[in-house]
Amino acid sequence: MMGKIIAFHSYKGGTGKTLLSINLAATYAKNGNDVCLLDLDFRAPSLQARFKTKGNGYWLNDYLNGVCEIKNALIDLSHLHSGTGKFLVGLANPSTEAIREMSAKDRKWEMKALGRLLALRNSLLNDMHLNYLILDTSPGLQYSSINAIVAADVALVVTSLDTSDIIGTQRMVHELYDLFEKKTMIVVNKVLSDMLSSPAGNNNFSDYFHNTYDLPVLDSITCSCDVLRVGGTCVFTEEKQEHPFTNSLKRIAGKIEKL
Amino acid sequence: MYKSLQGKQTRVLERIADSLIQLNEKVDVLIELQKHTRGGIANESLTDVLDVMTLLSLPDHLRKTAVTLCNLGQATAEEIAEQTKRARAVESGYLNQLVLMGYLKKERKGRKAYFYVEKEDAGVK
Repeated sequence: MMGKIIAFHSYKGGTGKTLLSINLAATYAKNGNDVCLLDLDFRAPSLQARFKTKGNGYWLNDYLNGVCEIKNALIDLSHLHSGTGKFLVGLANPSTEAIREMSAKDRKWEMKALGRLLALRNSLLNDMHLNYLILDTSPGLQYSSINAIVAADVALVVTSLDTSDIIGTQRMVHELYDLFEKKTMIVVNKVLSDMLSSPAGNNNFSDYFHNTYDLPVLDSITCSCDVLRVGGTCVFTEEKQEHPFTNSLKRIAGKIEKL
Repeated sequence: MYKSLQGKQTRVLERIADSLIQLNEKVDVLIELQKHTRGGIANESLTDVLDVMTLLSLPDHLRKTAVTLCNLGQATAEEIAEQTKRARAVESGYLNQLVLMGYLKKERKGRKAYFYVEKEDAGVK
C-alpha cells in the first residue's frame, strides 16, 4: 500500500487541529501502521510541549533550512501507544528566536521549503515505508500551511460552529483548496452533543455542513469535557479507548484508509 | 490532379493552424509578462520565485502545470502531460510560458528539454 500524506488545517486557531492530528496519528500507530507526525505550526509550536520532550537537537526548522536530513529531525515516541506501529514525531522549534526567524523568511526560502516538504513523500513514504505522514499546520493562509496542503494527498479542514470560522472556511475552500484541486474533507469539531443526539439530527447536521462548503463531511466530533479535562497531557485515544472521541478518531482513520 | 491540389491546400491550412497556435501562445506570454512586470516587458531575462502564493495567483491552466512540475522536481513536457492528461504540445506551451515569466528554468539534454524550478531541493528526485 502506498503511504498517504494528510494535512490538518483550519481557518481559525483553536479548532482542534493539533488534538486531532496527535490522536489520529496514535490511532493509526495503535492499529499497526508506521506513522510520522510533523508540527508545521512554526508560529506557535505545540508538539514539543505536548510530548514533554527536549527533542534530539534537530528541529523541523533545521530540515527546512537544509541543515539536516529528515531522519535526524524525528524522534521515536512509539512507547506512547500500545500498538505495534512506529510513532515518529518531528518538532517545530518553540524558542522565540526560532519563531521570529521563521516568520521573517522570504519567498525564495518558502519555495525551497515547499521542495523539501514535497521530497518527504520520497524519503518517508517510499524509502522508510511509512504508512501515514500527518501534518499539523498553522491556521489561516500561512506559507507553511499552504506548502503542507500542496504536499498532502488529503486536506482535512477542521471547523467549529463559530460563524466567523464557517464564513472564513467557506472562502478558503474556494480560494485555496479548489485552486490546488486537492482532495479536501471537513471535520466539524466541538459539536454540542444534543445536535447529534438522533440519527435524523446527525444527518441534518452533516447535510448543512456539506451544503455550506460543498465538500464531504468526514465526521462531526462532539464537544467533550473529558477531552478538555486532560488538557493535552496524554494521548487521549490511548487513555480512553472506548470514549466517543476515540470512536470518532477510529471512524476518521477508517474512512481515510479507504480513500 | 484535383486530389494533389486538395492535399496541398490541406497542408497549407495545417501550417496556418500551427502558426496561429504558436502566435496564440506568444500572445498569452506577452499578456502574462505585462501583468507581472507592471507596465512593460523587462529587457533582461526575468527570474521570479515560484512560491505557493505565486502558484495561487497563476491562471488555472498554468497552475496545474506548475504544481505538477513542483511535484516531479524536473520533467519534460511529455512527463507533465502524462500527469495532467493534457496534450504534450499544450504542456510544452505552458512550460515555455512559465520559463518566460521567470518561474521555471529549461535545460536541453540532447533532443529533450527538461524543465525545473530549482536545481537543489526541488521536489522528489
